[in-house]
Amino acid sequence: MSTATAIELDRVTKQFEGKRNVMALDSVSLAIPRGEMVAIIGPSGSGKSTLLNLIGGLDRPSAGHVRVDGEELSNLSDDGLTKVRRDKIGFIFQFFNLLPTLSCLENVGLPLHLRGWTRKKVDERARELLDLVQLGARMQHLPDELSGGERQRVAIARALSIYPPILLADEPTGNLDTHTGAEILTLIRDLHARLKSTVVIVTHDMNVAQSCERTIALRDGAIVEDVRRRAASPGEDVRRKHTGVGAPE
Amino acid sequence: MSKQRLWPRRHENTKKNGVHVLPFHFIFFFFVCFAPSWPTGLQSSLIAADNARQIVEEAQKRTDAKSQRYEGVLQVFDSKGKIADKRWTFERLGSHGQSKVVLRFTAPAEVKGVAMLIVNHPDRASDQWMWTPAIERDRRIALQDRSTRFFGTDFSFEDLEERDVNQYDYTLAAGDDATVDGAACWKIQSTPKESKSSQYTKSIVWVRKDDYAFARIENYVKDQVVRRMAYSDIQNVQGIWTARQLEMADLRRGSRTRLTLEKLEYNVPLKDEDFTLQAIRRQ
Amino acid sequence: MTLLRLISWPYFRRHVLRTLLTVAGIVLGVAVFVGMHTANHTVLDGFSRTVDRIAGKTEIQVTAGETGFDEEILDKVQSASTVRVAVPVIEAVVDTNAIDHGGQGNLLILGIDMTGDRSLRDYDLESGEDAVIDDPLVFLAQPDSLMLSKEFADKNHITVGSRLPLGTAEGEKPFTVRGVMKSSALTSAFGGNLAVMDIYAAQKMFGRGRTFDRIDLAVRPGRTIAECERELQTMLGPGFQVEPPSGRGQQFEAMLAAYSMMVNISSAFALFIGMFIIYNSFAIAVTQRRSEIGILRALGATRRQIRWLFLGESAVTGLIGSIGGVVFGVVIARGIAASIGTLISDVYGQTQSTTEALATDPRLLGVALVIGILTSLVAAAIPARNAARVDPVQALQKGKYQVLSAGESRLRAMLAAVLGAIALVCLVAPPLTSASRQAGGARALFYLGFSLVIVVALLLSPLLSLGLAKALRPLLTRLRPVEGVLAADSLIQAPRRTSASVAALMLSLTLVVAFAGMARASYDSIINWMQTALNPDLFVMPSQSIVVRTIRFPPSVGPDIAAIPGVERVQTVRDARIVFRKTPIMLVAIEVASMAQTAQRVPVAGNADQMYRRAGAGEGLIVSDNLALLQHLSLGEMLEIPAPNGLVRLPIVGIIVDFSDQQGTIFVDRRQFLKYWGDDSVNVVRVYLKPGVQMPDVRQRILERFAGQRQVFVLTNAELKAYILRVTDQWFGLTSIQIAVAVLVAILGIVNTLTVSITDRRRELGVLQAVGGLQGQIRRTIWLEALSIAVIGLTLGFVLGAINLYYILQIVQYDIGGMRLDYEFPYPTMLALVPVMLAAAFVAAIWPAESAVRGSLVEALEYE
Repeated sequence: MSTATAIELDRVTKQFEGKRNVMALDSVSLAIPRGEMVAIIGPSGSGKSTLLNLIGGLDRPSAGHVRVDGEELSNLSDDGLTKVRRDKIGFIFQFFNLLPTLSCLENVGLPLHLRGWTRKKVDERARELLDLVQLGARMQHLPDELSGGERQRVAIARALSIYPPILLADEPTGNLDTHTGAEILTLIRDLHARLKSTVVIVTHDMNVAQSCERTIALRDGAIVEDVRRRAASPGEDVRRKHTGVGAPE
Repeated sequence: MSKQRLWPRRHENTKKNGVHVLPFHFIFFFFVCFAPSWPTGLQSSLIAADNARQIVEEAQKRTDAKSQRYEGVLQVFDSKGKIADKRWTFERLGSHGQSKVVLRFTAPAEVKGVAMLIVNHPDRASDQWMWTPAIERDRRIALQDRSTRFFGTDFSFEDLEERDVNQYDYTLAAGDDATVDGAACWKIQSTPKESKSSQYTKSIVWVRKDDYAFARIENYVKDQVVRRMAYSDIQNVQGIWTARQLEMADLRRGSRTRLTLEKLEYNVPLKDEDFTLQAIRRQ
Repeated sequence: MTLLRLISWPYFRRHVLRTLLTVAGIVLGVAVFVGMHTANHTVLDGFSRTVDRIAGKTEIQVTAGETGFDEEILDKVQSASTVRVAVPVIEAVVDTNAIDHGGQGNLLILGIDMTGDRSLRDYDLESGEDAVIDDPLVFLAQPDSLMLSKEFADKNHITVGSRLPLGTAEGEKPFTVRGVMKSSALTSAFGGNLAVMDIYAAQKMFGRGRTFDRIDLAVRPGRTIAECERELQTMLGPGFQVEPPSGRGQQFEAMLAAYSMMVNISSAFALFIGMFIIYNSFAIAVTQRRSEIGILRALGATRRQIRWLFLGESAVTGLIGSIGGVVFGVVIARGIAASIGTLISDVYGQTQSTTEALATDPRLLGVALVIGILTSLVAAAIPARNAARVDPVQALQKGKYQVLSAGESRLRAMLAAVLGAIALVCLVAPPLTSASRQAGGARALFYLGFSLVIVVALLLSPLLSLGLAKALRPLLTRLRPVEGVLAADSLIQAPRRTSASVAALMLSLTLVVAFAGMARASYDSIINWMQTALNPDLFVMPSQSIVVRTIRFPPSVGPDIAAIPGVERVQTVRDARIVFRKTPIMLVAIEVASMAQTAQRVPVAGNADQMYRRAGAGEGLIVSDNLALLQHLSLGEMLEIPAPNGLVRLPIVGIIVDFSDQQGTIFVDRRQFLKYWGDDSVNVVRVYLKPGVQMPDVRQRILERFAGQRQVFVLTNAELKAYILRVTDQWFGLTSIQIAVAVLVAILGIVNTLTVSITDRRRELGVLQAVGGLQGQIRRTIWLEALSIAVIGLTLGFVLGAINLYYILQIVQYDIGGMRLDYEFPYPTMLALVPVMLAAAFVAAIWPAESAVRGSLVEALEYE
């Protein structure tokens, strides 16, 4: 069991059965070391979200193995997968997926409630997290009363609620204007730096991709490019192969 | 109303009294008269020969009659001082233990015609019937009901009957200095034997020493006096000393009933066939 | 708990109306349950309490059914070694209609022996403070003496000395109030409407001859009640019931068994329907909240947590609904109790006090809460399971609809087929083992089959309603090309949304069909019976009500009427409830030979001539068909009926259809009755007129003949029949309350479905408006959708109802009244229901349609 590798995919295939079968991922192998910040890019339908869902234990591969933090997901029951999600994974969504009826504080505390924490501890942690994302002043606000960027920060705080070793973000800036998107990205990078968690971001925003240590490009369910950047500074990407990935859709 | 005032203020006649005036007299009459000679071992200061039984025997002998008739005035004084008056005619035929009595109410109008027939038996409880003319029905007064009040008076149905004297034990009770209205009395205690069912646990009877007349009876339930009878206005009627006024007090309810005997006669001619259920239905 | 607060509460808050409707489903179900049972309890309790309070210190009561017994029995009982005190009692209920204000209703007259009774009862006639009775001697001497409870006297402003007219066997007589009883347990019996009179006067006033109804007794100290019961039972023989006062309550309960059964069936249906409302709401909620479920799952919620979230919601809904139902149920119980009271006095002749306090049994309320919550949980079980199965990936993808029921409908169909087959086996099996037909096992199988049929129908209802919706589509299209198609497609695309409403509607209609069918069959049978059995021209009775038997005629009334000019023939009847095989049944003493000539009936079993000849000769008994069914009697069987004067051992010589009593009837020749029961009183005189005589004239002559002597009521044949039909109406009228509730619940279901349908199709409707759809068109779409649901519900309801009717008739025949009723589909009711239900559906659609048209309203309901 390699503890140095946070995420490992071994010939993972995902096929959606329906009126016509769709091969979302085709024998993808991939290893993400602990603490790395990775961007997954690719056009619509390239399988990047599927990949994220498989890593997050929301979905199961049709074939192959997914290991998260050394744990083999394919053998796990639904409850086992849920446990992995609980203990190891934080999700950040494009559409934030905050519950509109809950205040920021409650939204952030929700995963902790699901884990059966006491209300006091939940509130304590939620406050801490909201401070971390600089929303300490808006704790009692409802998501509707916040701007898009603020909402995403709440969602990030929620994803961090248990300080998970792995943070999965699905188009975190996709629903935000450029400026706000950059802010969010900075926040994620900061958090990544401070918390040392493994971050996987699915995006088609090249700015986002470029600010990651590594960029993996998918097309038609296969990895077409895997680029590591030495420096953490954005804009200085060294592309090994140009595949046209990243063109705005 | 205080208990004291229930009693006659003075005893008008200190001569002998008769005990045949009412059926309830017989109770005491009999148990006093025919009690088995029973050495009491008590109160030796009393006339030595006068044990309880002899006292009662003597009293009975002095009041013997073949029959009796009177018109009674019944007055009930309740605890609030309300008075209800009723009148009846009373006829009694036969000797002790086998006598028969017919009581017939004559006033007020609402109760006129209501009658009671009491047939006493020496060896068991009496039979009692009531006749109500308005519905032309007779009804038996069941044995179990003898402790209930006799039609709103302070007498109970049990107080109306003669009983078998052998069912009682007698002793001279403590207190040789007992006096009632200034007359010296014997105090005799009667207790029903186990075989006898009675509402009373015991009774204390005061018999005057001078003329063997009854002066007072107290009936007990457990250790509490519940009914007290007082005799007064004792007159000689056809040679028999008879109290013309009796007063029964129900100490639990605080009420009393006074019976005044009018037109009292002894040894009047009465027919046996008038003392049947058929007969009381006829009239 | 936190989840409920965080997740469910906001949802409820946002969907106030739907939540209310959901809760209303349970409220109504529980309310019917609580209302009916509380009312039932109230009546039973009222009876028991009256019995208890009147019983006082009574430990044992001696009765001989309703017939009463000779006075001499009292001496016997009093002489028993184990008896301390025994007192006779007569009870009669009289109508105090003379008291004009406030309708005090009935007064229970207790005839007692004033001399001894006090040892058992604590009306203190002579309390020192409060002399309640002026003069006991006057009270006894005057037969018009009456002693009233303080409660009754106060209510009616009656004081000692007042006159109070009461109907007696001797006509209306003024009674004099000679005493007022202080308030006590006794005086509160029969709701406080209690009066005491001398038993011997009561015998005369109520035509009892020299009989008592009952002996109340207390056991001698040191002896046990059981010892006393044994001694008395041995002494008196099997013709007497010797039992504690509570035994009468049990008998009363047994008498009401048929009614209680109805209550139970109806309550079960009401709850079932409520269950579907809940199911419906939750199924919809799960669909609507998919993305929320997805988020929760992504954030680490386990399936179990999701499932419990929904079950928790349903438990809370159930709890709130149950509490509401309990409250509402208690509120309606009063009205129901009153109507049960009327029914009982009309059907069973047991007049009830109208002023009893409601018997709100905390245990019943507790059970109702539990039932409400359980119903809700069961209803939500499948939606909760589906919620747990929501796939987070799909749920988080906007606009993608996950078909949760895929495969489910196939499973349903299969399950339905299997259960249907079992139900069929259950139906066919019992006759195969006809030897054990009477056995409890056969009944259990029958009920299993019945339940399975309902379950199968419910399982199939989504498939069937989908099929019907598809069938309706062309029709709707032709009717309204645009709106019709939209409405039909709405139904077809979301069968889940529709099917629960359809199921609720189907269930309530099933109930209606069953009751209507039963009512119709009963009517036919009863009318048929009346035509043959009740053919005299006039019926002369001592009481206004034919079933009140506490006031009776002396036997001389028969010849007296026979002597009236114009009267051809007179038959005296005495009917009384007796205890037969521990069941209170009706014993009817008739003049068999005379009846054979005038009202010859065709026996179900046996030969008519023989039946009448042998019964008339005292060689046999005729039993009613329902008694034979309920007690499993057959022709020729030797019956043993305990009577006060000995055991009657006679064979059954004929079985006839008769509706005199729900628990069954035994007909005995009057002479036999006189011999064994020693009761020569008469309840009813059947009078046949000479041909050509004017009925009103004879009626007048009869009334004149008895004027001033006794109370006489003369009913014509038509009046009696109308009375019986009215009672039958009342019987079914009560159940119709439940039907109304069931229909109401179904309507709620439609409103619910439509509300959700509109919410779901908000975009579609918006688009429709955007592309130029008129508001009227949208309205009509919603209306058509509602009407389609009604049509589908009606169709399925009628089909299931037709099947249900069969089962209900079987239940009626074997377990309730023993009535052999013909299967007849109640077409008239059904035809009437079509417009009613369509109208109801339309009404249900009005509000949703308006809110669909006015988008803002929809948003107020469902902003999301």
